[in-house]
Formats: sequence, structure tokens, C-alpha cells
Amino acid sequence: MQLNELTIAEARKKLDAGEISAKDLTQACLDQIRSLNGALNAFLEVYTDEALAAAKKSDARRADGNILGPLDGIPLALKDNLMDQGKRITAGSKILANHIAAYDATAVRKLKEQGAVILGRTNMDEFAMGSSTEHSAYGPTRHPRDSERVPGGSSGGSAVALATNMCLGAFGSDTGGSIRQPAAFCGVLGLKPTYGRVSRSGLIAMASSLDQIGPFAKTAEDAASLLSAIQGNDPADQTTAQQEPFVPAWTENLTGVKIGLPRQAWGEGMQEGVRSAVQTAVQVMEKLGAQISEVDLPYVDEALAVYYVLMPCEVSANLARFDGMRYGLRLENLPIFETYAKTRATGFGPEVRRRIMLGTYALSRGYYEAYYVQAKKVQTLIRRAYDNALQKVDLLLTPTAPTTAFKIGEKTADPLTMYLEDIFTVGVNVAGLPAVSVPCGTAEALPVGMHLTGRAFCEAELLAAVRVYEQGS
Amino acid sequence: MALSSEEVRQLADLARLELDENEVTAAEKDLDKILGFVDRLKKVETQGVEPASMPARTEWRQDIAQPVDELARETILANFPARSGDLLKAPGVFEKPKGK
Repeated sequence: MQLNELTIAEARKKLDAGEISAKDLTQACLDQIRSLNGALNAFLEVYTDEALAAAKKSDARRADGNILGPLDGIPLALKDNLMDQGKRITAGSKILANHIAAYDATAVRKLKEQGAVILGRTNMDEFAMGSSTEHSAYGPTRHPRDSERVPGGSSGGSAVALATNMCLGAFGSDTGGSIRQPAAFCGVLGLKPTYGRVSRSGLIAMASSLDQIGPFAKTAEDAASLLSAIQGNDPADQTTAQQEPFVPAWTENLTGVKIGLPRQAWGEGMQEGVRSAVQTAVQVMEKLGAQISEVDLPYVDEALAVYYVLMPCEVSANLARFDGMRYGLRLENLPIFETYAKTRATGFGPEVRRRIMLGTYALSRGYYEAYYVQAKKVQTLIRRAYDNALQKVDLLLTPTAPTTAFKIGEKTADPLTMYLEDIFTVGVNVAGLPAVSVPCGTAEALPVGMHLTGRAFCEAELLAAVRVYEQGS
Repeated sequence: MALSSEEVRQLADLARLELDENEVTAAEKDLDKILGFVDRLKKVETQGVEPASMPARTEWRQDIAQPVDELARETILANFPARSGDLLKAPGVFEKPKGK
């Protein structure tokens, strides 16, 4: 086994036992990146020298017996919307082609304080808007098993980096499914924490009431280590919750765990191979002791509609800051209106422009009540629907996405078909709950993901169930 | 509900986006389709339902100016699209808005 194929837990054991060094571990990842990244375009930039230097420092700390934390010496990848001081950050957009992060995102600072080795920044749909990583201004990322296919998105680069062992763990952001759907497509685990669990300070904002940073991992145990490292209340983000910190609580089986299959989600529009792979996973869960039942979860289609109103509204407000004045691209022309309009039209790609237009419309006079306010009211109903369902059962289970990885170009012509990719994942963002995509077999040789949703701030229960499944499947 | 090309142009102005004629036509088509999908929200009965609020804390933090490290300061200045010393250089703002 190559070192870069290790899980974080395995690598930590070997590091602690002195069997391997962080430098060799990092070098193995860098070698893998060098051999595969040209074909896959997962990383937009690799910090070879700095990563090796950080790894050597970690080795020195370990030799002195004072490691900084459980991730000391572990090589990780960051999505290109997480600020890493002094490093370029583009959010996959031309408008930020030459932008340098002035400070560390809170999550990134915490990783550095624990001695993690940052390998580089990974490709993404522009400003995290997309489900395929085709909307990056820096070319698409390709699926590791079929270069004609997409890896999912928007955190496609991080998903591919982990799936191909270019790193031991990776981070993305999830606004409507941007961690979980690429995790499903690439056959890795992807976790969206509860809204408020992880600080968004230093994450380039897409839709602030829905965005959340989370990990890609090879196992539930690794996901727990990565979440533990970045979680917590932050004075720089008023929406971080004052809650008991996440602490893993592993269990031996699923006895007494009630899992609900939302009736409304298992209808039409799902690829047959996806359905059967996830049904097989359900049977495994049942064998492991889980009680399976059907539950009512209304407003599945409405959740997607709420998302495609609220998200563009927040996008149009958040991206107003990219006006060519204080940072990013400026195409100067007079009057100043022309500077704004030309800079933004040139700097933003078509999907970003589309969502800004949509949000501007929904927030404009005469439409605000009908779209934004009505969507916020339906959001209340959706939260109640999840609350009701999660009173009857502990976890909700669906496929992560209705299809496996699709072909490059297959869904770019019609934005609505791309949006439908999010049908099983957006509800969780709208309700603010934690959810995880877990690999559960394949359909026609492409990975399928099973989607588990838990109660707010119950990531420990969620990951415990995943770990039992991993060991029992 | 269908948007006219005039409405799309006005939206583009509000959003500060310069669109050519092809882009206006494409935007009309795309927005119609998406609005057609989200229009299902209008059918949901929401009488007496409160709009969802952010789960944010209600007290605000003090707005205290804090010193930044030199690297942060230098990076912020270096990110200016145009500068004059440590000042941000911007085009004149007292211009007539478009169409007025």
C-alpha cells in the first residue's frame, strides 16, 4: 500500500509509531498529484515546497514529542474558496484571477494551528455555483473513473483529489449539496455539518444563510477528525452556534436506530441503478440492527424551489461586492456605471450572471413578497416537516443524487436539469441540518452515494451510524 | 410568467451586468424556465406562517477596530485594482447613471 492511500487514522498510528514521516507522507501525495493532476485538473495550484517544509517541521515536532494536534503532519486539500493567507484565491472565477487572501479563514487557521499540511487549492464551479465543476473559469475537473464524465460539484476538485489519493482529507463548502453530491459521484464520504457548527469567516460567500464548510474523508472516523478540527463558535461569525462541541461517539451496531425512508423522495426521476444500490444499503442497515420505516416528508419539490429563490437572492447581494473597485478585476470606463457593468459581465461566467439576474428579479419591487418572503415562509414549513419526521425516526435516508456521474456537457445547456441534481440534498440546507453522503456500491461501474440526514447538531449519531455501515457492508 | 426583453435589460442594469442582444435573449429563456419551476411556491398555503429567520445570536459583537498584521495590510493594499500610495484609486463617482 502506498502511503497516500492510508486513511488519516492509519497514517496517525504509523506517524506516532515512527514507522513513517510526515515528509514521506506528503511526498507520496505530491507524487500522486504530479502523475494525475494533468489529466484530472483537481488542483488549481499545488504548494510543493511549502507543503514539504511544513511536513518537515511536523516531523521535528513529533521527534521532540510535542505535536500540535491529531492532524499534525496530515496532508490536506482546500477548496479554492477557503482563504489561506498569502495564497491566491479565485473561487473558480476570472474576476478574482489575481486575488491574494489577506487572512486565514477560521477553519484554515485552526487546521494550521493543529499542524496540518496544506497541499494546495482545488477546482470548483465559479463561486460554488454548479453541480459538475464545469462552471470553473479554469477548466472542468474530470471524473476519476471516466474522463468524459463530471465529478459533480461544486467542490469537484476536492472530491477528486481525495478519491484519487492525492491527499488524505479535503475540505469543501456545501450550500445546496456541493460537498455531498461530488462525494457521491466520486465514491468518497462527504459531510455537511449543521448550519452554525463551523465558522464561515474566510469562506467566500455564496448564500450566507445556507453555506457551510465540511470535510471529504475516506472513513467516518476521518470525517470526525476533520470536523473536530474546524468546528466551534467564532466571534468572527455571528451565526456560529453556542452548542456543545462535536465529540465522536462510536457504537457497535445499529440496534435501536430508527431510519426513515421519506416516501416523497423515492418516486420517479431516479436512475434505476441508483435506486437498487441504495436499497441494498438499506437492507445492510437493517441487518445491522436498524429499524427501517417509511416516513412522510412533504415539500421535496418545494424545497428545491425555495432554494432556487433564496440562494440567488443572497448571491445577488453577496456578489455585489465584486464591482471592480476594491479588489479583483477592474475594466475602467466612464461613466462609472460602465466600469461596474463591464467588469462584472467580463469577470463573471454565465451561471453566476444567471443567478445574479434571478436574485435581482426576485428581490425587485413588486416581486419581493411573491418570491423572497413566500420562499422564507415555505422554508418554515420545510423545517417543521423535517422536525416532525425526525421526531419519529433518528435518521432520514435517500440517495444523494438521482443519477450517477453524467457526461461533460450533458446538462450545461439547460440550467434546470442541472438544478434537479440537487433534489435530495437542498432540503437539508434549507432546514439547516447535518447530512452525509456515504459510498454504497456502484451502478454501471460508477459510484453511488447514500444520503443520511440527522437532527441538528447530532453529527456524532450520524457518523456513528455511517461507521457501523462501513464496517458491516 | 414570461419576462420581456425590456424587463431583462432593466434587470441587467439593476444587477450592473452588461449583456449583449444574444445574452438578453438567452437570459429571457433561462429565467422563464427557472421562474416556471419556482412558481410552484405560490400554490403553497402559507397563511399565518412566519418567514424563517436566521438562527443567529441576537446580541451584536462590539465593533472594535483591531490592528491587523502587516502581511494582511500589505495584501489588502496589493489587491487594490489601482492605487496611489496606500490609497485606493477609483473612477469619479459623480457621473450620471445610465438612462437618466
